[in-house]
Amino acid sequence: MLSPDEAADLIEAIAARQDKAAFATLFRHYAPRVKAFLMRGGSDAETAQEVAQEALIMVWRKAASFDRGKAAASTWIYTIARNKRIDLARRTNRPAIDTEDWLTVFAPEAEDADKSVLAGQTYRRVEELLGSLSADQLLVIRKAFFEDKTHTAIAEELGLPLGTVKSRIRLALGRLREALEKDEP
Amino acid sequence: MSQPAPEELLLDYAAGALDPAPSLALSLHVALDPEARRTVERLGALGGALLEQEPDEALDDAFLADTLSRLDGLAVEPPARPFVPRPGFEWAPAALARHIPAGAQWRSVLGGFEEIRLNVPGRHYRTSLLRLAPGHALPEHRHVGEEFTVCLQGGYSDATGRYGVGDLAIGPGTDRHEPVADHGEPCIALIVVERPVVLTGPIGRFFNPLVRRGII
Repeated sequence: MLSPDEAADLIEAIAARQDKAAFATLFRHYAPRVKAFLMRGGSDAETAQEVAQEALIMVWRKAASFDRGKAAASTWIYTIARNKRIDLARRTNRPAIDTEDWLTVFAPEAEDADKSVLAGQTYRRVEELLGSLSADQLLVIRKAFFEDKTHTAIAEELGLPLGTVKSRIRLALGRLREALEKDEP
Repeated sequence: MSQPAPEELLLDYAAGALDPAPSLALSLHVALDPEARRTVERLGALGGALLEQEPDEALDDAFLADTLSRLDGLAVEPPARPFVPRPGFEWAPAALARHIPAGAQWRSVLGGFEEIRLNVPGRHYRTSLLRLAPGHALPEHRHVGEEFTVCLQGGYSDATGRYGVGDLAIGPGTDRHEPVADHGEPCIALIVVERPVVLTGPIGRFFNPLVRRGII
């Protein structure tokens, strides 16, 4: 396992000295996770592996833009992997937004950096939160993230009224806000 | 009064589920509305935690070796340079600026507003920048599909409320609306409309054939 600090150290080592050993450690941890994540959403093994490889190569190229004060390594790599999945979908005739644009959105400008909730150890709290959500809430959240489905599509698929899906999302995000804001200065 | 987008829509956006044009509208709202941005940041942390929770599986060494070989000669890129607004388009955040074609110019449209049509991938939506002179109104119109409007300069009001810089309006809210620009500077907004739009006012109806042909 990699701690958030260890993962951030590895990305910084890549940025500082193109450290391939650091990359290999990061790759061993994240490439299988990205692959598994994509396969949950219905990707076949070959596609998932290709996206995982492309995403980790992007991590190498963009390492100097990583800022541990703004984003946990897991969040940053999740964002890159999601972009790669969209890029791949674009090749198969579903065009999408530029990867650079996504990274811009997830790298808030300096004036807001002190309020960023991505920084530091916050994902530990998110992991605690995930364990405490109701099964109904978790199902909707996982469908959105893993299967790349809008809340409208999720409501249709589950045969639920749109209002029910919206309220589950809002309850889950309310819990997320509380979890991330507790004890923060 | 700024109002962040509904959380379920921010989730659609953060999870990458939206089509490119609505995604662009949301990205501008998120860039300009601090509360929406914090929600998207939290959702990014949630995505990261979901990724981290995946099981720790052994890796095929050949896969790692192949990836390492692809890094040969692939330099780590220098950090992104700070965004410099484009002259004449100072109101356009970075994510929008790269969609505005070089040499883009405002084009007068029947009905008294100006437009720059943007070429965003995807056939289901029409994406435009609109500029409306202070105190002027867009022809009353009705949307049969979704509509996302993000105000980028100035402000406007319609039957649903008043919108300032960074605000996102989502349609169809009411059956018809007739946005009126605030006094002061011209109102500039990004508008993403699911095709087609139907004009409903006495003058607007006259334009419907043009709308259907994509002329306005």
